[in-house]
This record gives sequence, structure tokens and C-alpha cells, in this order.
Amino acid sequence: MKIMVCLKQVPHQDARLDIDGAWIKEDGIKFEINSYDTYALEEALRIKDAEEAEVVVASIGPDRVSQALRTALGMGADRAIHVKDPEVDGSDALGIAKLLAAIAKEENPDLVFMGLMSDDGNFAAVPPMLAELIGVPHTTAAVKVERSNGKLTVDREIEGGASEVVELQAPCVVAVQTGINQVRYASLKGIMAAKKKPLDVKSASDLGLAGQVGASGAKVSIEGIEPPPKGDSAELLEGSTDEIVGGLVNKIKELGLL
Amino acid sequence: MGNILIVAEIQAGQVREATYELAAFAQQVAGETGREVASLVMGKDVGALAEELAGRGGGNVHVVDGADFENYNAEAASAAIQSAVAASGADLILVSNTPSGWDVAPRVAAALDAGFISDCFNISSDGGNLRFKRRVFNGKLDATLSASSDVVVASVQPGATAPFEGTSSGSTSALEVATGDTRSRFVEVKQAEAKGVDLTKADVIVSGGRGVGDPEKFPEIIQPLADVLGGAMGASRPVVDAGWLPHAYQVGSSGQVVTPKLYIACGISGAIQHLVGMKASNYIIAINKDPDAPIFEVANLGVVGDLFEIVPALTSAVQDAKG
Repeated sequence: MKIMVCLKQVPHQDARLDIDGAWIKEDGIKFEINSYDTYALEEALRIKDAEEAEVVVASIGPDRVSQALRTALGMGADRAIHVKDPEVDGSDALGIAKLLAAIAKEENPDLVFMGLMSDDGNFAAVPPMLAELIGVPHTTAAVKVERSNGKLTVDREIEGGASEVVELQAPCVVAVQTGINQVRYASLKGIMAAKKKPLDVKSASDLGLAGQVGASGAKVSIEGIEPPPKGDSAELLEGSTDEIVGGLVNKIKELGLL
Repeated sequence: MGNILIVAEIQAGQVREATYELAAFAQQVAGETGREVASLVMGKDVGALAEELAGRGGGNVHVVDGADFENYNAEAASAAIQSAVAASGADLILVSNTPSGWDVAPRVAAALDAGFISDCFNISSDGGNLRFKRRVFNGKLDATLSASSDVVVASVQPGATAPFEGTSSGSTSALEVATGDTRSRFVEVKQAEAKGVDLTKADVIVSGGRGVGDPEKFPEIIQPLADVLGGAMGASRPVVDAGWLPHAYQVGSSGQVVTPKLYIACGISGAIQHLVGMKASNYIIAINKDPDAPIFEVANLGVVGDLFEIVPALTSAVQDAKG
């Protein structure tokens, strides 16, 4: 059993988002593994806990991404692949999916787990694209995954708290929703062991995609980014804690709730 | 320039309102750029629904009717959409960003080697040049995108635009689609389990988010304010995902949708999925340390400050006011 987990490193959820051109200023902010992807990795590691399995993590991005991959190795993944190549900068979702598909074709995994979307772009595009490019079935927003005889039974979250149950033949791509499991932390022993685990660095041309990805190959580009319009935003209560609390109590009285 | 294809969605025996929202936008762009509108309806025994859509903005409706399409299946839906693209000559394919829409649209985009933009809340057409607006960073920023590809697939946030109203002339025609051997299949829909906590009946809801920081702070700080106001405690998704509170407490598109007289959001930044679940509340108070948190966009009254100071003080003050 070989499981591929695709990770993205994203700005930390509490990072300051200062606009810089058509994206945010990345200098001086902290990065972390995309929250959705941590659940995907945990789902793979749980299979590895239960049976013989190899977990291969793959990520695309600059030098800093090696830190995310080392964290994943520290959590228990066996091997990492880092696509590090300035030529892939500015790839759109389809470009990223093409890079991951090239890796998947080399690795031939039985299962691919990844997060439903990223916390930065929020596109939710790559998992179904990857599945199409490698010719396997997929599902998204998985909140429960069970396996038997080469088949996966997946509960996927739909609207109003309901779920849709889908059966997929492996190999397949499963994009997981947050909350599907409780994600482990890397232990100190795991972090030490991770230093010796293989981390391969690849370029677009290693993957046969020179000139097809990156900004020049992108079909979609971001032209600008801005804070949402302020519209009818809240009236702000200011002052000391006592003044603020007094204002809140008056409002609650006014609403007839006190 | 090619035509516009709307991927319709059938839910509970009806054409979803979101489909008519796509129709309104498609008809507007078609009028400006001399294109034609076509639609795809997939399902079992959906002829009458296809007629209804044809008469309300759907243009030439391609109907894929059969048992294989009774329930959503990504591979079958992808095959049907690709057939409809070929039959309609569309170069702009519009899908609603619903659980089936977000599942199939990227797959279709990859199959067509098309540009893909998801979850748009606004699409503008300036002389045929399309600009797509969507939220990024979980609602904290808005991005404007454009596509340079010949074919574009876009998914649109339900409720972002007004639906097509009135009547239009259209037609329907059957479209045969070979689904082949799909390697995935629909099994069943499990309805939401009965909630241990029914937030929909509470007059006051006090909800805590990631900013509460610690599972023990919920019974310590959030619940007492809810109790003293005779209300119920709620939570945002990250709190439930972290296992701090059971799913029954979750307010949002994947939890409970609530409309209390008063909603107090404590340490909740306001991701879209949460806002959908509470923005129709009669009155909203938000307490958050980040002045740029999107929650302040929907709140009536905001406090930029430390919830650990304000919430306990408010609980005592409400207690005192009750005498």
C-alpha cells in the first residue's frame, strides 16, 4: 500500500495580511501546513498505523516548503518530494495539478489524500483536477473514510449537516474536510528521525513539464487583491471595559432581552 | 466567441434557485456579447423541469435523462457536461458552487484543459472581457481574476446574484451520454442526525471561536454569558474541528443555521461558512481583537478588544442588571 499526500504550505492563520501587488507580502510572516492538509496526512498515517504502508508527501514551492515537509516526516511520513523551481511560480490550479499528476504517475500510489482546499487561495480545485489528469475517481469534503477490498466508502459533507455516501475503487483521490480526525503532533523522536528520511528535490523539467506550468503556462491570473468593501459594518463600542460593558448591557435592554 | 453553458442543478424535484441565478448572469453577458445561452439538465424524468428552465432564462436546454443521473456521480456528471459543451459550442461554463458543483467543476476544467475559477461572488463583463471576484484567505481579502484560456469554467457562490425572473423563449433537446464504467458510485444520503443542542429555537446565542483559545474556556466564559441571558452556547467550525465541542454546537453552513434575536460572536473571525449560518440573526454583537475580522462586516455592534476581559465583565453586569 502506497499513499501519496499532497501538502501546501500557507501563511499562518494568524499572520498579518499586508497586500503586496496582486498577493500578500510574504516577507517576515510565519508559514504552516495548510490546515486541511494536516487532516489528509493524519488520515494516511492512520492507515500506516494499522497496516504495512508507505506514506509519500509532496509539496510545491520555494525553500521554506522543506520545513513543512520535514514536519510531515516528523509526524510519520516516510518520504518527501519537494518541487522547488522558480519556473513553477505563478502556476494556476491546473498547473499545480499537472505537477502533482506527474509525481503521481512516477509514484503510482494506491491512494491520494489531500485537503479540500487551501487556507490562502480557497480554490478547492486541485484534487478533482489531479484525479482527472491521472484517470482515477475522486471525491471531496470527506468526513469519514472506510476501506475494504480495494474500495473506499466515503461520507462526504453536503448541505445542512447531511452527508452523501460514495463508494470509490482504488486508486482514487480523496479530498478531506477539516475535523475528519484529530491530527497528531510530531514527537521529538519523530522529528529526530525525520532528519534522516529522504527528501527529493525536483524541477518542472524533471517532471517533463518545462514551459507548461508557472506564470507563463497559467490560464488564470490574479489581477488584484483588496480588503472586502466595508459596507454597513458594525458600530464600534470604545472606551474602558466598564464603558464597553455598560454599552452592551444598554443594547441588550433595548432589544428587550433583559 | 462561443456560447455560455449553464450546468443546472436539480434538488428535491426542483430546479435550484442557484441555477436561475446563473441564468440571470448568463443572459446578461449573452446580451452584451452576442452569445447564446444553453443549459444542461441531468437527472431522471426531468423533462418537465427542463421545460421550466427553458422558459426562464435557460436558453437551449440539453436534457440528459436516465437512471445513471438520478443521483450525483462525479464521473457521470463530468461526461455529461463535456458532451453538453460540445453540443452547445460553449466556451464559458457556469456551475453553482454547491457540494456537487465544487466536486465536478474542477474535474471538467482539467478534462477540457480550461481555465478554472471557483466560488465567484461577482462576474463582470467589460466588452466581453470577464473579471471574476472571489474571496481568498477565508474571507479576509477579495481577489479579482481574469482568464486567458479559450475555455473557462467558473463556479458561482449561491445567493451572490439575483435569480432570473420573468419568461424567455428556449427549447429542449435530448442529449445521449455514455457514462462508461464509472469507478465510483452513489450509495445514499444520510440526513443530519438529530441534534443534542437545538440552537434554532434560542432567542440568544453566545458563540465562541478559535479566539477562545482553549476548550476549558467554553464552560468557564462562554456558557455563563449564554446562561445568564437565558440563551444557548454555539461555536464556529474550528472549535468543533479541534474537538473542543461536539458538532451539535456548530453554527454555519455545515452546522446549524440560526436566526436568534441576539447573536454574540466571541473570538470568531467570520469565515464565510460561519457567516452563512448566523448573518440573518436579528441583532449581532461581535467581540474580537482583530479590527479587520470579517465578522464586523455583518455585526450591528462591535467591540475590538479582549474577550477574556469583556465577556466575564458582561456576564456579571447582566447578572447585576437582573437584580
